[in-house]
Amino acid sequence: MDLVQQHTWGWFIAIYLYFGGLGGATIALGILGELRFNKGKWFGIGTALLGLAILSFGLIWLILDLINPLRFLLALWVKGIAHSWIARGMIIITGAYVFGVLYALAAFFEWTTFKKWMGYAAMFCGFGVTTYTGLLLNANVGIPFWHTPALPVLFTVSAFSTGCALLMWVLAGKNDHESEHFFHAVEGFDIFLISLELLILFAYFDFARLGNAAVMKSSHMLLTNPLFTIGFVVLGLIAPLILEAYASMKENSKGLAAFASALVLIGGFLLRYLIVWAGVFQYPHGLAG
Amino acid sequence: MARYGMVMNVKTCLGCKACMAACSQWNQTPFWAEDGGKWRTRVTELQEGKFPEVKREFFPTICMHCVNPPCHSVCPTGATYINKDGIVLIDYDLCLGCGYCIEACPYDARYEYEKDDLEKDEFYFGEDARHHQVHVDKCTFCVDRLAEGEEPSCAATCVGHARIFGDLDDPKSEVAQLVNSGKAKPLGEYMGAQPKVYYIK
Ligand code: SF4
Ligand code: SF4
Repeated sequence: MDLVQQHTWGWFIAIYLYFGGLGGATIALGILGELRFNKGKWFGIGTALLGLAILSFGLIWLILDLINPLRFLLALWVKGIAHSWIARGMIIITGAYVFGVLYALAAFFEWTTFKKWMGYAAMFCGFGVTTYTGLLLNANVGIPFWHTPALPVLFTVSAFSTGCALLMWVLAGKNDHESEHFFHAVEGFDIFLISLELLILFAYFDFARLGNAAVMKSSHMLLTNPLFTIGFVVLGLIAPLILEAYASMKENSKGLAAFASALVLIGGFLLRYLIVWAGVFQYPHGLAG
Repeated sequence: MARYGMVMNVKTCLGCKACMAACSQWNQTPFWAEDGGKWRTRVTELQEGKFPEVKREFFPTICMHCVNPPCHSVCPTGATYINKDGIVLIDYDLCLGCGYCIEACPYDARYEYEKDDLEKDEFYFGEDARHHQVHVDKCTFCVDRLAEGEEPSCAATCVGHARIFGDLDDPKSEVAQLVNSGKAKPLGEYMGAQPKVYYIK
């Protein structure tokens, strides 16, 4: 077995995966807030457009990572739709744009039924984007640490947690009753998501402990990297979990929760970057020159 | 229609790297690139066993032209395709250069043909330069030579008869006999890509 760390993908792809997930989750959660928590049309329009803007910002990094960025439009030549996650992702992202904008228009003109349908479709696409960022890495069979069904789950949960964090920022400044109510709902959901993320991570590394050589190497690289252990696990997950749990039990604690959210947002990025960095190929012996 | 494949005989490979030279000249691959160049085919040197029983081996590698190629599965634009003879090829006009296939290939067979490489290609080969746009590159089994009835340039040059090329569907061919007899085996079968390059070790 020849173990070789991958070098083709780095920062750019990590930034794309991060903002893709964050944008998708923001769209889904924001529209949910408007449709189910009576947050008012401007909140729905604002979050849907904010999510799309974040997604677009992420896409820029994917384009810059191409050896010839001018070729980007070819990505819409989705002949690989039947089997490629970049092609499928392009369709899902296009869906998020189309339904997201239609939803915003419908909300603006108050076409209630149409708005609902477009809202649900946009939410579905937003959800799809978060999962797709994990499936994208998952398809690389030669990198066993990525080629596991746990990765899309981990990325989806993490994306929704960062989405919650962003919404808490948006909501922290508002004092009306609906905002308070939704703020606490999001806070509670985030506590649940972070706990779930810790569980998935535990399962991931426990699996890696008994895994094959490349998986063991990837997990060893991560567990000996303080950016992962201290940066992501301690400061990006455990600390915000404790802070948010504490804040949820106290009055006037939005500031604290907003601080915890900042940690979640930074942690989410570290996770994407480090997982990409820790990709190790397991080539049959003799191949690595 | 054929089903082309290759057998690598690690026992008879001399490590002369004539195949690498022949391929890089024919296909104009970036032998000039840093860190030892970029190649469609490589010969790696292996030290097997423990001192004092050390054995030196030369290990030729190439794109395996898989039957179920992950590089093809991930390619968004259809730039990577499989031709009627089972050869995995890239349509340069459709290649985004996203690098997804490089990450997906479990046999390290692909690399980026970058802008600098295009300039060098023109510098070395002048009017005969064959690469005019950035793309991801890999072995083609020399489809252009096959069309002329010639073997791929690596196999044609091989001094040790370590590269045996032919049609796996033709039971009389040497490749088919080596493969069907079980003497030559694919690498990393557990990954499910079903390579069509086989090794005698
Ligand atoms: S060896 Fe790699 S590049 Fe060649 S066909 Fe198989 S997966 Fe594709
Ligand atoms: S780099 Fe080119 S051949 Fe490879 S997956 Fe992307 S578009 Fe397809």
